[in-house]
Order: sequence, then C-alpha cells, then structure tokens
Amino acid sequence: MTPQNRRKSSASGPQGTTPIQIHRALKGDASSIADLVVRTKRLNNEFDPLFAVVEDAKSRAEKYIVSTIGSPDKLLLVAADGSKIVGVLRAEMRERIFYDPHVEGLVTDFYILPEYRRKALGNQMIKQASAKLKEMGAQIIVADVPSQNEIATRFYVKRGFRSLNQFFGKSP
Amino acid sequence: MANLRKPKPAEDSSKKALVYSKFYAGKVEVAPKVPVRSLDDFAIWYTPGVAAVSKAIEADPDLSFDYTGRWNTVAVVTDGSRVLGLGKIGPEGALPVMEGKALIYNYLGGVNAIPLPVRVGSEEELISFVKALEPSLGGVNLEDIESPKCFEVLDRLRAEMKIPVWHDDQQGTAGVTLAALYNALEVTGRKLKGSRIVLFGAGSANIATERLLVEAGVDSRDIVVLDTKGILYPEREDVDKLMLKNKWKYEIAIHTNGDRITGGLEEALEGADVLVAAAGQGPDAITRDQVSRMNKRAITFFLANPVPEMLPGAAHKAGAEVVATGRSDYPNQVNNSLLFPAIFRGALDVRARTITDQMVIDAAKELAAFAKERGLSKNYIIPTMVQWEVYPRVAAAVSQAAVREGQARRRLSRKESFRMAMEMIEHSRKVMSSLRRSGIIRDPPE
Repeated sequence: MTPQNRRKSSASGPQGTTPIQIHRALKGDASSIADLVVRTKRLNNEFDPLFAVVEDAKSRAEKYIVSTIGSPDKLLLVAADGSKIVGVLRAEMRERIFYDPHVEGLVTDFYILPEYRRKALGNQMIKQASAKLKEMGAQIIVADVPSQNEIATRFYVKRGFRSLNQFFGKSP
Repeated sequence: MANLRKPKPAEDSSKKALVYSKFYAGKVEVAPKVPVRSLDDFAIWYTPGVAAVSKAIEADPDLSFDYTGRWNTVAVVTDGSRVLGLGKIGPEGALPVMEGKALIYNYLGGVNAIPLPVRVGSEEELISFVKALEPSLGGVNLEDIESPKCFEVLDRLRAEMKIPVWHDDQQGTAGVTLAALYNALEVTGRKLKGSRIVLFGAGSANIATERLLVEAGVDSRDIVVLDTKGILYPEREDVDKLMLKNKWKYEIAIHTNGDRITGGLEEALEGADVLVAAAGQGPDAITRDQVSRMNKRAITFFLANPVPEMLPGAAHKAGAEVVATGRSDYPNQVNNSLLFPAIFRGALDVRARTITDQMVIDAAKELAAFAKERGLSKNYIIPTMVQWEVYPRVAAAVSQAAVREGQARRRLSRKESFRMAMEMIEHSRKVMSSLRRSGIIRDPPE
C-alpha cells in the first residue's frame, strides 16, 4: 500500500545524489553529533520515566562526545550526507572480568535521523563498527538499549544478536 | 467529519431525533425478500431444503455470495471510541449513529447494512471480532474509531480479510475531498501535480487524504501537514516519539514538506495553493490573515462539522476563490455520503475482495466528472446529495476499477455494473416509497 510517489532510495540521502559516507567523527562534528545523542536520550524517555532527560543534556552531550573523539578505547562513527551528520554510533571497549570472551565492544549510543532510516544505513554502521571494534580487540559486540525499545531489539535480533543481560531499575 | 449527521438547525433536529427515535424504535430492520406463500415454503427456505444449499456452499464457500444475501451485506462496526464529536461514548451510545449510517447505505446505495457497535477490551479484540464476521458479510464499514487505533485496525483488516473493509472517516473523507479538489483545481486553472497543498489537522481524515493525494499523483514533497504542534518535518523534536506512537503520522513527517518549512499555519500557507482543514475548533481556527498568505485564486476546504474551521464568507474576503465545507447550507458540501454508498454498491456488485486506493481515486474522478458535466463554478465543484443519479455512476466506476485491479470475484462490464447499481438503488427507493404508501412505515408524530 506504500504510495509510489514517496521517495525511496538506498544509495543516497535526501540532500543529493552522493552516497552517504560513514567515517570516524572529527572534532568539528561534536555539536551536531551531540544533537543526535540528545535525540536518542529523549527517545529513551518514551520508554521509561527513569530516562527523563536533564535540562543541560546538550552541553553534557558535547563534553561526552569531545571526550570520546580521540580516545584510544572508544569509537565514534558518523554517517554524513554531504556536510550534514545524519547518524552516529558510539562504542567503547570494556573488560569482562569474569567471563570469556573477556573483551567486549559496547555500543552505547546509536541514532539515525528518521528520513535516513530504512536505507540499510544502520546495517552498514553496525557492520563497520563491529569490524573496527574487532580491530581494537573486541571479542564480542554488545549494545545497550532500553528493554522497552522494541525497534532496537528487532534491529539487533535480526542481525544475530541475542539478549544477554537484563538491567532492572526502580526508585528506592 | 463531513457527513450527513449535521443537524440543521441543530436544536430542531435534536428534538425531533429524540421524539422520532422513540416513536420508531429503530431505523432499520431485517425484512424478508422471499415469498412465504404458505408454511410449506419453510421446507425450502429452511430445513430440510436448505441443507442442499448448505452442502453446495460447503463444497465451494464462494457460492455463499450467490446463494445467500452475503454479497449485499455490510456490517457497520464501531467500538464507540470516537463517536461524532462526542468522543468515547461507548457502543450503546454509538448505536443510533450506526443505525443512521445503515439507513443511508440502504437508501442511497441499496446496501443491506447492519449496525453493529461492539464492546471490546482491546484493538486486537476488535480486529479478531471483525475477522470472525467475514463469512456472513460482503464488506465491513468501520466507523467512529479513535485515531491512531483506526489506522492499525484498518490496515490489518484490509490485509487479513478477503472482503472490502472501509473506514469512512479515513477513506470516505479522503475520497470525497479528492473529488472536490479535482474540480476546484479545474475551476482555478491548476493541476494536481505541482500544486502546493497544506493539510491542517493530522487525524484520520487528513492522514488518509495525504496518502490518497500521493496515490493520485501528488509529489509528497509538495504537501505540508500540520498537527496540533505545528508543521510536520523530518527533524521535528517529537518525530521519534511519533515513530513509536503513530507510525502513520511519522511517515508523513518524513516524506512530506520537501522545502522543510517549519512553524505554524502562517508559514505553511505562504505561497500555498490548497488548504484542507480537518482540525475542528471553528469558526476561528484559521484567520483571514493566514488565508491571505496563500497564492491567488486559493482553494480552501474547511471540513469540520458542525462548525467549519473558518466560515466561507471570511475565507472569500481573505482571497480564497473556492471554499468548501462539510455543511449543506453553504455551497460545495464535501460530504462522505456522496461516496460511501456508491463505493460499496460498486464493490459489492462485483464481489470485490478489497477496496484499493485506485478504486477510491476512480470514484472521486467519476464524482468530479458528474459535477463537471453539469457546469463547474466556484460554487459548484461537487454534486449534491439530491443528484442521486450520481450514485450508480460512481458505483460503476468502482466496479470497473475492481475488475481492472483484479479484485473482482465477478467480472461485469461498465454497462452491466451501471445497470445493476441502478436497479439496486432504485429498488431501495421503491421499497421505501411503497412501505410509506402502504402505511407500514408511518409518518412521524407531530
């Protein structure tokens, strides 16, 4: 039933015909990346009130991003449509003290602007991130998402991930 | 939305509705259509004779369309969650409305419609209830179901049932809006493609209208849709929330508004050709200043009932050339009742499996063509309900579209479907006049 006059594309974004580039984030990207990170947090708030977003989230996000860029045990990938940042994936290396495999690459933030979704961009980003995290020493790739986020759940399950942990919370 | 239900004048018809409803105690009833010459006939209509018919249908269930009244039977189903402008008044409260709808189906479309409000606890329960009715029906009319629930229910039922499922608040309003728009564009020297269209209100009517416009050839980038928070665009702060809560509005946010206009109605109407308001809160929901920002010879539809978002006089003063409303006391009444009886007449006559968007577009074109043949003007862009000859015309267009789209169980030519629709509708009118003449249907009390 999808109307035919809806624009569909897989190779390029709405801004033009050049393919979307995925690359490591640059310092100058920090502000636009921070916007996207704040969007992920706001989205999380839709799933649970314990994810209420603080007022100065944007400036915190910028610091968070700046400290990520250039850190040897962290990864920050962006998807860019020309000069516009349309997607971001942040991950960090973590040690698993008691388990084997004992090094994990943890995806902490992953967001793609709505109109760039369903173009296999998420798939490309998670693939590239996995490869880079493997190079950095990760033996498994894990991702942190709200339990109620069924869209994220479907995304990972479809790509062979399975739920490893449940993270419970309540107000004391 | 636009339909027959507007009281005119309101107090008078409310009073009459209460008195008459009690007097008649029901607007429709199941009536025989076979003769009972003596009690012996029951051996044919019922057991033992009927067993032969049952066995034949068991062997080929599609024969139920030939051997029973299934082919012409439509259930008018609601959960009572958004009845008229009254909100969630429950299934019993919805019953008089569904009876009225059934009566219109009968009188204008010759359709045997059964009012069927149901008490359900969930969306899923409503869906499974309607699906369970399929063996008895030729079609389903969903009515007065709240948004966004109505989208999911309609999409699921359309996909999962092999008979037409129609939600009049979506497809009916969209179809009749498209019909009026075709002629409004003609009157103002425009084409559908390339016109800049603003949809004010993002409820069931305009969400369906957006989809139908795109299906009819409008580039979605030329459409701007506003909800209560303003113009929808892909980067709007709450778009992710929409993805979770209302995926239909989410789709619209992503695909429309190619120019990335942000803000409110002022910004949206700047340089727009067409405004379709289905937002309510009239008569001052839209100001003259806002409409005056539109292009010259602007087209404005105010579909809220009983009070349009803006009164036609004010819109004309603000520069609008063609103004339509949902009301019968102004020119250009965009009224669902022009469409749904004919849509089902046409769909039922060919035992259609579904009502595709193309069938609705063809119906809209036929409705528009009918008005055009009678001479368009800025005050006549759509037929009125008294021009009842339009119904078999539109029905035949629907039948033909169903045949073309491969959705007809029975193939009829245009001539055959027109004749059949004409006969069915004339039959209903004859039954009414003969029941009245014979005194079986009495005149109402003073």
